[in-house]
Amino acid sequence: MDYFLDIFLIAISAALINNFVFYYFVGICPFIGVSRKIDMAVGMGCAVTFVITIAAFLSWTITTLILIPGAPLSSFVAGFFVTEAQAATIDLTILSYIVYIFAIASSVQFVEMYIRKFFPLLYKSFGVFLPLITTNCAILFACLTIMSNVAGVENPADAWGLGKSLTLAFCGGMGFTLAIVIMSGIREELDFCDIPASLEGAAITLIVAGIISMAFMGFAGVDSGLRKAMESGEITFRSQLKLPDSESQISVLLAAFTK
Amino acid sequence: MAKDPTPLERFIQGIIPENPVYRQLLGLCPTLAVTNNMKAAMTMAGAVAFVLLGANILTSLIRNLLKPHLRIVIFTLTIATFVTIVDRFLAAYMYTMSKSLGPYIPLIIVNCIIIARCEVCASKQSVVTAGADAMGQSLGFGLALASIAAVREILGTGMFFGLRILPLSWPDWVIMVLPPGAFFTLGLLLGAVNLIESYREKGRNKG
Amino acid sequence: MEKLKNNYIVQAWLVLLLTLCFGSSLAGVQILLSPKIEANKINETRQKIPGLILDKAALERLEKEGGSLEIKPKTIRVTKNNRIVFYKVFQAIENGKVSGWVVKSSGQGYADKIELLIGLNPSLNKILGLFVLEQKETPGLGNKITKWQFRKQFILKSTNMPLVASKTGATSPNEIDAITGATISSRSICSIINTAVKEIRASLKENPINLKPMK
Repeated sequence: MDYFLDIFLIAISAALINNFVFYYFVGICPFIGVSRKIDMAVGMGCAVTFVITIAAFLSWTITTLILIPGAPLSSFVAGFFVTEAQAATIDLTILSYIVYIFAIASSVQFVEMYIRKFFPLLYKSFGVFLPLITTNCAILFACLTIMSNVAGVENPADAWGLGKSLTLAFCGGMGFTLAIVIMSGIREELDFCDIPASLEGAAITLIVAGIISMAFMGFAGVDSGLRKAMESGEITFRSQLKLPDSESQISVLLAAFTK
Repeated sequence: MAKDPTPLERFIQGIIPENPVYRQLLGLCPTLAVTNNMKAAMTMAGAVAFVLLGANILTSLIRNLLKPHLRIVIFTLTIATFVTIVDRFLAAYMYTMSKSLGPYIPLIIVNCIIIARCEVCASKQSVVTAGADAMGQSLGFGLALASIAAVREILGTGMFFGLRILPLSWPDWVIMVLPPGAFFTLGLLLGAVNLIESYREKGRNKG
Repeated sequence: MEKLKNNYIVQAWLVLLLTLCFGSSLAGVQILLSPKIEANKINETRQKIPGLILDKAALERLEKEGGSLEIKPKTIRVTKNNRIVFYKVFQAIENGKVSGWVVKSSGQGYADKIELLIGLNPSLNKILGLFVLEQKETPGLGNKITKWQFRKQFILKSTNMPLVASKTGATSPNEIDAITGATISSRSICSIINTAVKEIRASLKENPINLKPMK
């Protein structure tokens, strides 16, 4: 139950509350560059989501199996050269950035080959933007977040598993897609407006992005509120469902929110 | 074919005419993220300067050995190594700053400025030119970061580099240190730079 | 000879050479810098501990005498909702006597996790200090929890009753003033402190670590 709550909160946090574009400022370059037409924006968003999920899978696997101290594969290989105890302390996390960027480059290459084979028209319309996904900050950012939750936690039991990592990556990608589609819709309308010449292009995009970012700030506190409401065990449904740790039953859902 | 730009030309071009943020629109991620305050912005500018200088010089040294289809791999490898060195260095000697900059230092790896400079200048010209280009571009980047960070920090907290500038009665425009403020500041300053550039164009065309 | 030249591995000799060079330089950086980074991580918490247990006068006295607090880190296991949670606790010992505990506790704030260091007296019933390690609350509103003006309300508060953040002004000894416009952040701090103290007390009752003076 707790696990699914965590996954759900990670999902809405990555997609809405801490949106990759409007809160963390990653993925701005394609956000400004590709958001002129809605269909291109949707295509770019889906491609980025695809790449981010594959890259997250690769980076989680490599981090857990090779890079962190005490990882199975690296201590197995090191066990041939040094003692068991020393092999368990080998820390390869200094290589993590290089490994991630090459994992991302390979994912992009893989996705490029896939799209060229199965969607040749889409491939043509993407042009040079597809290889440019490698330099999209959002993908590396997702890998870094996963690394900090796997290698950077004090308590090994808190380290993220594959499920949470993939949720973060996929929902982060979905949040990026949402952002870029909203922006492209607005920009299609802006084409009919009378914008001062100096603000045309990137400048007006950034100002509009600022306004949307203010709107997204309204989501702040949603995940903590949900978590508090569900963890304190003060919600029961009208049926006989009783959460395992609640001693009392408060019958109305609203009571939990009017504290 | 026009003559290749000299080192001095490369240096001067990088500061304002070909400013990486305002004219080329590259490297916007750190520009928006770390410009909450001047200290973080200057640390980021220093880190980018180190990586850009190192990557440019190394690429320029091996420029005759680069195979066309492997050069991006080599650029990426070089940049990733330098960024790792900078990141570890910051974690060792400026720990609190490293924690507040967080994931944005490793994001220098995918900062388009560095790959673009390697591609455009360092892989084709000599070490001195590449070095001058790196210094010019990093100076330009630092200037851009400073301009945005100054606006955000002064309006948002009344401080500059942590020192009180505006009187305490100033109602802090907290929105400036939050994400929307970053977008607004960059957008408006970009508009201002475009306006100045268009006036200079008109002046050039008239004369 | 042509076939050899077209072999990918031969063409990539530069990449492989660079990989070796970069790998060794990174290994060098790791060897040089990682002790310092580890020390930074540990000191980040340890440096705060004397300030959380001793008051200003005692701190100055300690500095003048050139003495130092001996700090013993411990981990306390607490079973909560069928999950095991670990608390990192520091025992502060001065001249062989336990002068206090510092508990590192975290919980959900308004925006994200808030991490606290709570200084407690040896019998865990009075708060001696409070420090906010990490918070991502709203700048200008929620992040006022780091200010001394807010934190000093907790000093010398008794933990026998749960602390409550009051919007209208503290009236009873277990109430503190919430920050205007940041009620949820203030309430989160209180609940993190209450939970930590309650769980550590319960756990120590089950398996007591020495609360008595140590030799």
